[in-house]
Amino acid sequence: MLSEGSKITRPEYLRILPEIESPITVRLKFVKLGSLQYISHLDLQRTFNRVLVRSGLPIWYTKGFNPHAKLVFSTPLSIGTQSECEFLDIRLDREMPLEDIKRMLNAEMSDEMYITDVYIPNAKFSDIAFCEYEYELFFKGASEKAADEIKTLFTTSPLNMIKRTKSGEKEIDIASLIKSIEVAFCAEDNAVRMDAVLSAGTDNFLNPEMLITALKERFAIFSGDLSSEWYSIIRKRSLDSGLKEFR
Amino acid sequence: MNKNISTILKAVSKPGRYSGGEYGQIIKDKTKVKARFAFCFPDTYEIGMSNLGMRILYGVLNEESDVWCERVYNPWSDMQEQMKKYGIPLTACESGDPISDFDMIGFTLQYEMSYTNVLNMLDLAGLPLKSSERAEDSPIIIGGGPCAYNPEPVADFFDLFNIGEGEEMLPELCRLYIKMKDEGRYTKADYLHEAARTIEGIYVPSLYEVSYNEDGTIKEYKPKYDDIPKTVRKRIMTDMDSSYFPKKVVMPYIETVHDRVMLEVFRGCIRGCRFCQAGIIYRPVREKSPEVLNEQAKCLFEATGYDEISLTSLSISDYTELEALTDMLLKWTDDNMVSLSLPSLRVDSFTKELMDKIASVRSSSLTFAPEAGTQRLRDVINKNVTEADLLRAVNVAFEAGKNKVKLYFMEGLPTETHEDLEGISRLASSVVDAYYKCPTRNKARQPQVTISVSCFIPKPFTPFQWVAQDTIETLEEKQRYLGSKITDRKVVYTHHDARVSRIEAVLARGDRRLSAALEEACREGFKFDAWDECFDYDRWISVFEKTGIDPAFYANRELSVDEVLPWDIIDCGVTKEFLIREYKNAKNEKTTPSCREKCSGCGANKLGGERSCCPKAVK
Repeated sequence: MLSEGSKITRPEYLRILPEIESPITVRLKFVKLGSLQYISHLDLQRTFNRVLVRSGLPIWYTKGFNPHAKLVFSTPLSIGTQSECEFLDIRLDREMPLEDIKRMLNAEMSDEMYITDVYIPNAKFSDIAFCEYEYELFFKGASEKAADEIKTLFTTSPLNMIKRTKSGEKEIDIASLIKSIEVAFCAEDNAVRMDAVLSAGTDNFLNPEMLITALKERFAIFSGDLSSEWYSIIRKRSLDSGLKEFR
Repeated sequence: MNKNISTILKAVSKPGRYSGGEYGQIIKDKTKVKARFAFCFPDTYEIGMSNLGMRILYGVLNEESDVWCERVYNPWSDMQEQMKKYGIPLTACESGDPISDFDMIGFTLQYEMSYTNVLNMLDLAGLPLKSSERAEDSPIIIGGGPCAYNPEPVADFFDLFNIGEGEEMLPELCRLYIKMKDEGRYTKADYLHEAARTIEGIYVPSLYEVSYNEDGTIKEYKPKYDDIPKTVRKRIMTDMDSSYFPKKVVMPYIETVHDRVMLEVFRGCIRGCRFCQAGIIYRPVREKSPEVLNEQAKCLFEATGYDEISLTSLSISDYTELEALTDMLLKWTDDNMVSLSLPSLRVDSFTKELMDKIASVRSSSLTFAPEAGTQRLRDVINKNVTEADLLRAVNVAFEAGKNKVKLYFMEGLPTETHEDLEGISRLASSVVDAYYKCPTRNKARQPQVTISVSCFIPKPFTPFQWVAQDTIETLEEKQRYLGSKITDRKVVYTHHDARVSRIEAVLARGDRRLSAALEEACREGFKFDAWDECFDYDRWISVFEKTGIDPAFYANRELSVDEVLPWDIIDCGVTKEFLIREYKNAKNEKTTPSCREKCSGCGANKLGGERSCCPKAVK
């Protein structure tokens, strides 16, 4: 019926590994692409809880009344943005080869969300100051000139936009939160590509979707027929305050 | 994913409903399969993904290497607007292909109020609603599930129905389809005829002519061929231990209604409450053995990573091996941080030992269903629990520190009087009193007793199938009366919308003539009628008026035990004689023992069944 050896990815040595005194923290770097871009942060947490249980990793559980695995994610990703560089810290109560951790997790994940790296972290998530995003914009009137206008829009401060938060609406100058931006027209597929480094600190996080909102408001792009205009956003890298890649 | 859809998804609420890509989904090469099956759940993704039957049948169909079964749910209104705007048809989750290109489309009919969603989905798929208007090469539309036991209100829309459990029937239907295609002798008409003739449990409504009497009741059902059954007998899986069990589950990314392992412990129910359709149509009782269940639970835990296992069955505490099963499960669930839960508890079998084992009681609230307020009325409905049982059960809960109890009741039950309604209030108050009398109660907290009152709906294949539903006015008067009798401030009173229950009654006891009303409802854009925010009673009444349907004829008329019922075309195993006997017992306030105490000769034993409490079938 089952279940002997049903988890072939689970190494034998796990049974005999001794429990360690205090849990070790392991950092997972993962991608979240395609249909996974529509999964919210809360749903992602739930999903990872189940992935961890399925994987058979020696998860460390909190010792309270309601034991649970401790998951700490880096900068949340908003719905509609894909990513090649998400981070999650987990805790284990056994020491084991990092390569095995990656293999066991990926056996339970999909080709749209999987682990690309596993390591013992040195840096804190609060060190992340910027994120780099790649935009692909397909719209009527995409051209060299449109690309220049877009670049001018985003590099001219102030570019005031309404930001909706839990505590209400407030106006922010998004140009001041754009560290750098490259905009280019690609004649081959008639698209405009943007490469933008945006503030991503806890108190000055700029949602990459805000740039799209600006295009909608200022240029009426993506505000009409969605069957002929579309865009994608991918988070490519996370950076620290010195613009060095975060790890 | 289609790039255009990807941007549209950013404009709708909960896009995770539509994006697909779940872990555990089954992808096949569509050029290599011979039959593509779209399994539709006519409600939202969150509800459909929680349905155990769909999980099983999705697995069963995909076991066939040349069949690819995919999932389909009804998109919420905002998504439907976008689909209309951009000309996007209804597609299946796995491939994203339009379901109008599939070979077969199956709908599971779980509740009557989802009928408008079935038509809504056919419409979104771009398919004509009526089977008679669909083209030769258009998909075969199949219905199944509990509501298929009276398929007549939706008969015009379906090519065929599966009556009973589908684990064998659906693959057989696919095999026949593939065989006839391979042999080059497939026509839709021949296929439907051959399915009706050779596969037990298949009902093809177009092959039966219905005639009516002058008073509007049914005169007779006449099969168009001599070689198809005069009544269609339901199919069951006789041996649940060896019955197909899905080892893999499609894991939703977004939160659904039941995010837990659902362990089906047995089918059927030994009780025979006289209002309950499930208690009759799933007979005979067939249990799985605890060893098999324990293995299946482990397998599902490893395949899903869920932290809760729910033992699902009707009246779970009637499982003969409940103690053995929970002991086996607890040996490994605690260590893996997995908790057990039970969906329904009978007051007469709720014990401290049981409560200690299950997690649903780790919350401060417990739910019981006395259903009626007086012993007399509980005898009428054959509930077979007493006030003493209830008080003993709540005491167990209060002693363990619980302070909240939820009680389910029904109003509008046959023979009900104001005294019975007052009994509900009195019972609730005595539960409050029991709290204060309990010496080990949680003194830091106040008791809270919630009574949730639904409206009685006469359902096919129940001893009450002939009973007239109370009119809306009576139901609402009774709701107000009960409200006025509840003076205890520790008692919270909620009740269902009587107007929804009336439409449900019309659809439940409807015949083929209702298809016209449902077609009109679809034309007027009805959908999600099981959702309060979408249901509009006045519009339903207007649809009935336009199509010449008298809702009172179906909901508020006492049927004669001699008349031909729309669902007489179906044989659910339990005989009409038994239901008539039970109807008479109800009128005489006479109870009937459970199947385990004494066989009452309902007739379901002729269907067979392993690990059942039925005496051997007499052939």
